[in-house]
Amino acid sequence: MAVAVGDQFLQGTTGRNTRGMLRVIILCTIAAAAVSSRLFSVIRFESIIHEFDPWFNFRATKYLVQHGFYSFWDWFDDRTWHPLGRVTGGTLYPGLMVTSGVIYHILRLLALPVDIRNICVLLAPGFSGLTALATYLFTSEMSDSPSAGLLAAAFMGITPGYISRSVAGSYDNEAIAIFLLVFTFYLWIKSLKNGSAMWGALTALFYGYMVSAWGGYVFITNLLPLHAFVLICMGRYSPRLYVSYTTWYALGTLASMQVPFVGFLPIRSSDHMAALGVFGLLQLVAFVEFIRYQLPSKQFQTLLRSLVLLIFVVAFGGLVLLTVSGTIAPWSGRFYSLWDTGYAKIHIPIIASVSEHQPTAWPAFFFDLNMLIWLFPAGVYMCFRSLKDEQVFIVIYAVLASYFAGVMVRLMLTLTPIVCVAAAMALSQILDTYLVAKSPSPQVQANGSAETVKNTASSMLPESLRSTRSPLVGIYSYTSKLTIVGSVTAYLLLFVLHCTWVTSNAYSSPSVVLASRSPDGSQHIIDDYREAYYWLRQNTPQDAKIMSWWDYGYQIGGMADRPTLVDNNTWNNTHIATVGKAMSSREEVSYPIMRQHEVDYVLIVFGGLLGYSGDDINKFLWMVRIAEGIWPEEVKERDFFTPRGEYRIDDQATPTMRNSLMYKMSYYNYNSLFPAGQAQDRVRGARLPAEGPQLSTIEEAFTSENWIIRIYKVKDLDNVGRDHASAMAFEKGNKKKRPSKRKGPRVLRVE
Amino acid sequence: MRSIALALSCLGALFTSSSAADSNLTKPLSSKQILSSSFKPPQVFRNVNLVRNVNLDKEYPRETINVIIENVDAQPQAEYYLPFEAGLIARVGGLEVRDKKDASKGAFQVEVVEYDTYSPTEFYLIHLPEPLAPSAQQTLSISYTVLSALEPLPASIGQMEQQYVQYTFSAYTPSAYPTSKQKTKIKFPSANIPNYTILPSPNADGTEDPQRQGSTFTYGPYSDIPAGAAELVSVRYEFTKPLIHATLLERDIEVSHWGGNLATEERYWLWQMAAYANPPTSALKELKVPLHVGVTNPYFTDDIGNVSTSRFRSNDREALLELRPRYPVFGGWKYSFRIGWDADLSGYLRRLKTGDGYVLKVPFLEGPRMAEGVEYGKVVVRVVLPEGAKNVKYETSVPLVSSDISLHRTFMDTHGRTTLKLTALNLVDEWRDRDIVVTYDYPWTAGFRKPLTIFAAVLVVFAVAWAVGSVDTSIAARQKR
Repeated sequence: MAVAVGDQFLQGTTGRNTRGMLRVIILCTIAAAAVSSRLFSVIRFESIIHEFDPWFNFRATKYLVQHGFYSFWDWFDDRTWHPLGRVTGGTLYPGLMVTSGVIYHILRLLALPVDIRNICVLLAPGFSGLTALATYLFTSEMSDSPSAGLLAAAFMGITPGYISRSVAGSYDNEAIAIFLLVFTFYLWIKSLKNGSAMWGALTALFYGYMVSAWGGYVFITNLLPLHAFVLICMGRYSPRLYVSYTTWYALGTLASMQVPFVGFLPIRSSDHMAALGVFGLLQLVAFVEFIRYQLPSKQFQTLLRSLVLLIFVVAFGGLVLLTVSGTIAPWSGRFYSLWDTGYAKIHIPIIASVSEHQPTAWPAFFFDLNMLIWLFPAGVYMCFRSLKDEQVFIVIYAVLASYFAGVMVRLMLTLTPIVCVAAAMALSQILDTYLVAKSPSPQVQANGSAETVKNTASSMLPESLRSTRSPLVGIYSYTSKLTIVGSVTAYLLLFVLHCTWVTSNAYSSPSVVLASRSPDGSQHIIDDYREAYYWLRQNTPQDAKIMSWWDYGYQIGGMADRPTLVDNNTWNNTHIATVGKAMSSREEVSYPIMRQHEVDYVLIVFGGLLGYSGDDINKFLWMVRIAEGIWPEEVKERDFFTPRGEYRIDDQATPTMRNSLMYKMSYYNYNSLFPAGQAQDRVRGARLPAEGPQLSTIEEAFTSENWIIRIYKVKDLDNVGRDHASAMAFEKGNKKKRPSKRKGPRVLRVE
Repeated sequence: MRSIALALSCLGALFTSSSAADSNLTKPLSSKQILSSSFKPPQVFRNVNLVRNVNLDKEYPRETINVIIENVDAQPQAEYYLPFEAGLIARVGGLEVRDKKDASKGAFQVEVVEYDTYSPTEFYLIHLPEPLAPSAQQTLSISYTVLSALEPLPASIGQMEQQYVQYTFSAYTPSAYPTSKQKTKIKFPSANIPNYTILPSPNADGTEDPQRQGSTFTYGPYSDIPAGAAELVSVRYEFTKPLIHATLLERDIEVSHWGGNLATEERYWLWQMAAYANPPTSALKELKVPLHVGVTNPYFTDDIGNVSTSRFRSNDREALLELRPRYPVFGGWKYSFRIGWDADLSGYLRRLKTGDGYVLKVPFLEGPRMAEGVEYGKVVVRVVLPEGAKNVKYETSVPLVSSDISLHRTFMDTHGRTTLKLTALNLVDEWRDRDIVVTYDYPWTAGFRKPLTIFAAVLVVFAVAWAVGSVDTSIAARQKR
């Protein structure tokens, strides 16, 4: 009965409509699942912007919404990088902010005045729903199987590798960039298949959007030419390729140059030269193809050989010349660090100090992709079985992205889409084979399972031409069908379980708010960051300059709304090193630096009381290292280690360490919390010296509830012109030390 | 459909604009008389006996003047002037005058009389309900509070020290008329009063001035004080509690007939005026906001998100919102935040038996109830009525400085919601019990404006989608199948 009814709906035009309807419903469900699995943090905490960079994006979006697009474009931000400022409008990718701004204004127009914060928080989940849709379209282009696209969409929707950058509140460029990446690839494949200028132009359009949204657009810029190049090398040049590539390149390059931050890079930097080169190559190939029709083959061979040689020499020589002369920028440092993982540590310590730029640990692949990671090679292998133009793309993408994901943790993000697609292709093949209730039609002899196995094997190993021509793949035994389908279902369920668990536990913490458990199991929220930022916002002058390590720059700008010296943009290494020097030097050295930079307050993070390990003392060595990079004479990393090479903060700590401003600020007054001589640092597990450090040039202004954030006010110059140390001594009633004869260390006279 | 909605909105606009011009039942204090700076109140009264009570229990002095006045003029007189120093009048709030003998008569009409230029004193003008016949007497009870009156001295103290505050006032009650007999009683929160002014000359009874009994002082009695006489004295006493001053409180009350919900949101800008450097005792650590029973969905947020340190106790007898600010607010620090909650509308709104009229009765002021009191520099209350409400009238016993009816366009509005905005200055938390009563007309057709508009909009979207879908965009002519 049910079958009969089903048949009625699943055949003919009605069947097509029914299936289309089902597909739409399934895709909507997938999108809903994608959105809702990203809402853990909103439900657990609140609608809040996460981490560090999103706070800048949020602040920029607010600026855009308040002041309009043109002043955003020309935005010079004097509240960061004091006293330098930052040409923010020209040094960011505006795609994300403009997207939220447009959504904001459209909703406003529809009389739905939604708060801009909520739009920003929910942008990433919303776009992940679209990513699932784009993945469906992309996969459907790759595979004939009706289920591959839906599976890929479902994988893309919930895989932790993508969720890690797109939970609600993670308002970063990647939030929309991954959608754009997948959708641009889809359009590229579509235009390549059809040889259509319209699809090519659409590719260029979305490529331009992608350029405006994320620095990772370079991945597309290099992947599409590589695909075209490989196709040419495989002898698969076709007018379709010519039309789609040239359309994309010409329009896409123009579109990308509209973004001020990119500007003339597409024609001047080495990162973009591959696209240009392939563009030229395509013209050549097209020309050669044209000539081939006109000339006899003998002459053609000679001509071709000499032509190819000549042009290659000229083009390569020109490129080298331009690079040497400086017209074309050489490869950027970040690019080198992709090939040599040790490069950043030596040459760009700031990049190396960011944890997401570290090489990926192997378990991370399984953690982020679960079973997809072992289905992935199978899917890529299956692309070789029917190697059409689009399957070549998958292979190239897979190889490149796998390598990049191995080099840098954050590039796991670019790997995830292709893993989902490939895994879905592999899994859909299994399901399509095993999920057919009917036995295969006995066109060939159907004697039993042994024959089938043979047939199956023959399809994989093309021994005889006849069996490859019409391979019959099919399963007869219900037992094996059930076993396979059952195990696949179990794997899928486990996958969902894993994804939910990872998302819930690893990726849903706002990191601004820390959650802990009380002994009775209830959630206790540690909100020291916002406590301190809000204090700054309410109780300091509007233009009070805050000095802190660069990690907190964006948050101070966003939550405390106060000017900062350095922030997460890290464009000026020297400025960061200056802050590092101020933090790691003695007070007498730091004070003039702070005065010169008009610092009013110094903010540090201290986890010693609570056992919060991500604090400034643990990051201190990076400050020292970065400062040492600029002032190797004045700041030396070696001085912060004991003679035995230990990094200590207790009474064994080196004098340099104990006199550094950071150490003093961290442990100032810390003794008063404990009985005498019992002061304990719970992060480093060390007992502190009985006598705490004394501060003379700065004074404590605010300390948060759990001592995570400590804010110090920089004192003004002394009224009577004394230095602060002697003023403090006077206040305490100490007798002024008589300037006794300086007994310096004996110096050997050498004349 | 669309045209009907449009027509409805146009009609609504017409009605609202006409209703805005209507007079209201309660008259705000905004109509100020401007007098010349050389103005002197006509000497038509005499204060026969005056007793002033100054209560310093809370962070704002509450002064009550009980005075027997006598008309010394030949004509009946109805205008009694009450002088304040120019700087002081801006901080005096909640001035109410009643007949001491007959408190049920309600408060007298009071207005601020302002001078055109710099003038040392300014006056409140009290209109007696009936003119006082010549040589007749009447007992007035004048009560008011003075805001920002206590000054921490010293302004900065250590962690373990006690906070002392100083209050300066005139020992002779300021009056525009001669006073035959008067005295001032001061009630302190504790008996720890280290410093106070001792007047050089003894009082009328011949004893030392002031008289001290435990935590109560008496300046006076004095006899035959001429009009306008002043004798500044100051007292310094222990006050260990925070001085909470809200520079601005914005309060939105939103009525939803469809949802049956009354949503309230309050935005505070607090300033702690206690001594700087903060002994733990005078830090503001917790605010307790008692709400009406049955309140749901409370929230406590500030500019950067939710404040997790709050608790809401709700049961059949009470609904208490306990707020802890993000950081303990020490002396001199500021803190701004917002709280809000929902309540069932049926407890506040009643439909009139005839016509489309509704009566809404909501508290003018809620907010924290603290032992030391809370003072509000400016309170702005907005009552957002449903879209299409018209003929709005209100009544309240709180002295207002301005009122305004406008439109507020928000979620899914085509036209905007009728909004009543009331502003009052210098209130204290004792005014919590006062209500606003708002009456308005809300025809049932107005309630259907929103669904109809949405329906029409969706219809238009479908129509446009269909039209766009059937346009042939291909360059070549479509092949006939």
